[in-house]
Order: sequence, then structure tokens, then C-alpha cells
Amino acid sequence: MIEVQDLTRSYKRGTIETQVLNGVSFRVPRGAFVVIMGRSGSGKSTLLNILGLLDKLDGGRYVLDGTDFSRAGDDERSAARNRKIGFVFQQFHLLERASAVRNVTLPLLYAEDDPGDADERAERALEAVGLSHRARHFPGELSGGEQQRVAIARALINDPALILADEATGNLDAQSGGEILDIFRRLVEAGRTLVLVTHDRAVAERADRILLLDDGRIVGDEAVARATQGASGAAGLV
Amino acid sequence: MSRSQRIARDVLVSLSAQRQRVFLMMLGLAVGVAVLSAVIVIGQGTRERIMGLVEQHGLDMVMVRAGGEVQVFAPQADRGLASLVEADARAIEAEVPYIDLVSAVQNLRGLNVVYEDRSVVTRAFGVEPSWLAIRHRDVAEGEFLSESDMAAMARVAVLGVKVARALFPEGGAVGRTVRINNDPYTVKGVFIELGTDAAGIDDWDDRVVVPLTTSARRLFNRPYLEQIVFRVTDVRRVPEAAERARDLLAVRHGIAPGQPDDFFVREPDDVGGAAMETASTLSALLLAVSIVALVVGGLVIMNLMLASVSQRAREIGLRRAMGARGSDIARQFLLESLFVSIGGGAVGVAVGVAVAVALGAAGVASSRVTWVPFAVALLACVVVGLVFGIHPARKAARVDPVVSLRGRAA
Repeated sequence: MIEVQDLTRSYKRGTIETQVLNGVSFRVPRGAFVVIMGRSGSGKSTLLNILGLLDKLDGGRYVLDGTDFSRAGDDERSAARNRKIGFVFQQFHLLERASAVRNVTLPLLYAEDDPGDADERAERALEAVGLSHRARHFPGELSGGEQQRVAIARALINDPALILADEATGNLDAQSGGEILDIFRRLVEAGRTLVLVTHDRAVAERADRILLLDDGRIVGDEAVARATQGASGAAGLV
Repeated sequence: MSRSQRIARDVLVSLSAQRQRVFLMMLGLAVGVAVLSAVIVIGQGTRERIMGLVEQHGLDMVMVRAGGEVQVFAPQADRGLASLVEADARAIEAEVPYIDLVSAVQNLRGLNVVYEDRSVVTRAFGVEPSWLAIRHRDVAEGEFLSESDMAAMARVAVLGVKVARALFPEGGAVGRTVRINNDPYTVKGVFIELGTDAAGIDDWDDRVVVPLTTSARRLFNRPYLEQIVFRVTDVRRVPEAAERARDLLAVRHGIAPGQPDDFFVREPDDVGGAAMETASTLSALLLAVSIVALVVGGLVIMNLMLASVSQRAREIGLRRAMGARGSDIARQFLLESLFVSIGGGAVGVAVGVAVAVALGAAGVASSRVTWVPFAVALLACVVVGLVFGIHPARKAARVDPVVSLRGRAA
């Protein structure tokens, strides 16, 4: 599903160049639930942005769902974001003036072909996250957990191969966060691939596999069934 | 729906959810368009009123008469001074600026016009087809003279209404044959009733009019003219056109400086030109005001859109993450400013036209409502919306989703 090889990315701030990703390589098979963990500044957000085709890579190779996006242009990446990827953010990022249904249908706006039955699809997606009864509500009228469930419904509406979640439970209380993780687990069981960035160990334990990122490199790749200490080094790395 | 149509619909839905902001954005432009459309409606009304006066009083016509100035009002004016010829008319047509129609004119009093046992003595004119428009005349029945009548030196005549009534009390003059000085002429038309001139001397209904070629070669059998008349396209240019005609004829007739002319150029009072000048100045002034208002309205829209790009950076980032291309974002913002400016324009044109019509009804100004203010307003709004929308749209397209979606900066 995901194949990343020798990924590098640096940013220039003024005259100072910072190497954020320094040769990252890994694979994620279809249907996996992978967590990327790391301290702040470890490069995990940049990695997620590259996986989400929001950011470009300087060097290396990124293949998503059989397509090489290493040198893809803006329009090609935009189209792929729309078709292949669903995003879930820590801040939910819902449009305040739009109802839950309209928020959920937002990705359909940018689809190449008009699906035509946007509202029905939105309602099905809301049903999948248990929010049918809130379809006509506005974000301000929903709890944090409910808002994040709307965001997940939005991520699902284009039936993407990959779901990318950035600290998706970071702004939620333990119970709501748990509900979100339950939904994620169900999505994975239904065959979707999910990559979640977090710094919360307890959250990470819910995944199948944890990639540890530090200083722009993968320093650990553990299956969750295993003990967390003693990162297994290169095991599983490409 | 296509992607563009879906984006356009989304913009309309978003705008309808923030009416207060949209209202503020529209305000400046609405004022500009209101002034602009009121100016157009009043300007067109004023122009029409002035053109009505011009037509009624022949303020756009210059007449050149044979003979010097002193003879102009003498009763022997028709005695045929051999100073003007048709070549003078053609020279005026070719060389005097601001004129569109010229006609050479001959006339003679005391002609006998007979139909069966009825007869009248009247005054005959030989004219060119352009004469009808130059003199703001019209025919009530039949037709006026044509170029083919001219070419054929046709024996056809158009009758003044008094002549027609005297010869054909039952009506039905058109198509009959009358005798003018014993030659047969077919009646081609009858003029509308015109009455006498302001001085009450010339009775315009007591006339017969024949082609100039017919009068020159057959009826009067002489080449020289009594008059040349021409129409000035812009009523403000009448004095200038008259002056140019005077200079041209003086040269053609070899008149030395100080010598009296053997012709006289009679131009109408300059009231038409003066009125038009005032109206134009006022229109230009108000037009400038409304253009300033349009630009200010556009700047208001641009600034509010620019502010909105910053405020909505997170929304832009989100839309990009959902698959919007940079061009989709640019289109969204451009459509937003376009819809806002067209909305403002619609409000503005409605208010402006209504105010102008109210002023017209109150007698303060002349107003005439045509499609013009609506078309101009639409065009102005599209231009303003695009010109002042393009910068915010490009700025929006350049928003980096990575930056705008980052953490708490949201």
C-alpha cells in the first residue's frame, strides 16, 4: 500500500537549512494499522504530510497504492489526495458555517466525476460513525468526539484506500478518544489501511505496529504484540 | 454537475451563510453602480430631450443660400442668382467635417399645378433624397423621392398637404398624374402637415417637391441653385461646420478678403449645442465620480477578500487536503468576488435606475430607461469582480496547506 524508500526532506528558514527527514524507509501493507510515534521535532508531521501528498519530498521514493508520487506535480497530487486519502486532524478542521452533512460532502466537491448522490453518501458515512441523528447539526452544536466522528465520515466519503490521522485523539477526553480508536479499529477490520501519528503510548498500543521516528530517521519498528522496549532495529525495514 | 459548477454552487451556499459580510462587501460597489446607472438613465433622457428640440427646430441643419447677406430676406430671393452650383454641394459633402447629409436645392415660385379641372399656383422645390432627413420632414402617404428618380430625372412629385387637398379633395393623390407647367408628373407621396414657419411667411404645406435632376434639366431648366442644406452629426459642431463651409465656398467662388460673399451661410441658433455641451460636461463629471466609486468599491472587495484569505487559511488548507487543486481554490475566491460584485451591481442598478426615474417623474431631470445601464452595470461588475478578485484569488491559491493546517495555528 505504502512504500517509502530513502525519503529526505529539509526546510530552509532564512539561511539555516534543517534536515527534517533523513533517509526514511518502510512499507505498510494493505489493511494495516500503523502508528508513527516520535518526540515533537522528530519529523513525524512532515512524514505524514508527505504520505498525505500535501508536501513534496526532496529525495527518495514514495509509492502509494501502486503509483509513484516521488515527482508528481501539484494537480496530480491533489487528485490523488481526493481519490486515495482520507485525512483526520487533531483540530477536526470542520467548516463552522456548514452542517455535518455539508462538511462530510466536501471532498465530493473536488472529485473528478459528480457522484450525484452526495447527501445519501454523506448520510451513510455518518451512519457508519454512529452520527445519523446529528446530520443537520453544525459543528458548534456537537461535542469534540462528535466533531471528530464527522471528520472521520468526511475522510470516508470518497472510499479512500488510506486514512491518515494526525493526533486524532489529542483534543479529546479519554472516553471520546477511545470511541474514535474503536472506529479506527473497525475501519481496519473492514480492510482499510490506517496510519496514525501520535505521541501517546496508550494510543499507539491500539495499533498493529509502531514506527518510532527520531531526528528524521526510523529508529524502531515494533509489532504491538511484542514488548515496547528494545526496538527491533532494522526488522521490517526495506 | 461538472467540478466547476459544483464549486460555483458551493460558493453560493457559503455566501448565503454569511449575509452580513457579503452586504458589507457589496456596499461600496453598489453605490458606484447606482451613481453610474442613474447618470446613464438621466444622461440618455437629457440627450433625448435635447435631440427632440434639435429636431423640432432644425438646430442641426445649416443652410447656404445664393446671393449675399442683404438679399436673404428680399422678396426676390427666388429670382435665381447664378452663384451656387451642384459642384459646391459636392465639395461641401467631401470637405466639410462633422456632416453626414447634403442636398442641393432649387426652387421657383408661381408654378401651375393642375389635376383635371382643379389647379393651384404653388412653389416647387428640386431636391435630393437626403433633403427629407436634413429638413426633418416626413411623408404621410406614399414615398419620398429616391436615387433612381434622381438618376432617371423622373417626372415624379411629392405634394404639400395643402396642394394635395386642393387638387384631390377626396384624397387618393398618390399614383395620380398631375400637370406641372403642362408636363405630366406622377404623385409619389404627400407630406405630413407642417404648418408655417415661425415668422408665418413660408407655408411649408404649400409646396411640390421634385427630384433635383428633374428640376434642373426639365422643370426650371437651369443649373444654379437657391440653397445647399446639410446636416451636422454633432449638434455642438454646427458653428464649426458652418464656418468651414463658408471658407470653402469663398475659395471656390474666388472671393477676395474684404469683398462681400455671393452666398450666405445661415446657421441655427446655438442653443442645441450649448445644451448638449452642458449635459455632456455634467455627465462626464458624474461619470468620473461613479468610476471613482467603482474603483473604491472594487478596492473594498479586494481588501475584504485579502483579509478573508488570511482568516480562512485553515479552510483553504483543509480544502487542499480534501483534493482541491490550487486552481480550484483560485476559482472559488474569484467566483466569490465575482458573485459579490454582481450582487452589489444588481442592488446598485436597481437603486440607481429607480432614483433616476423618480427624479424624472418629479420633473427634476429627464430620464429614459433602456437596456444600457443594465448592460453597463453588469459589465462594470464583472470587470471589477475579476480585476479586484484576481489578486486575492492568487494569494489563496498559494496558501500552503502544510502551514495552514499545522497544529494550533488553526
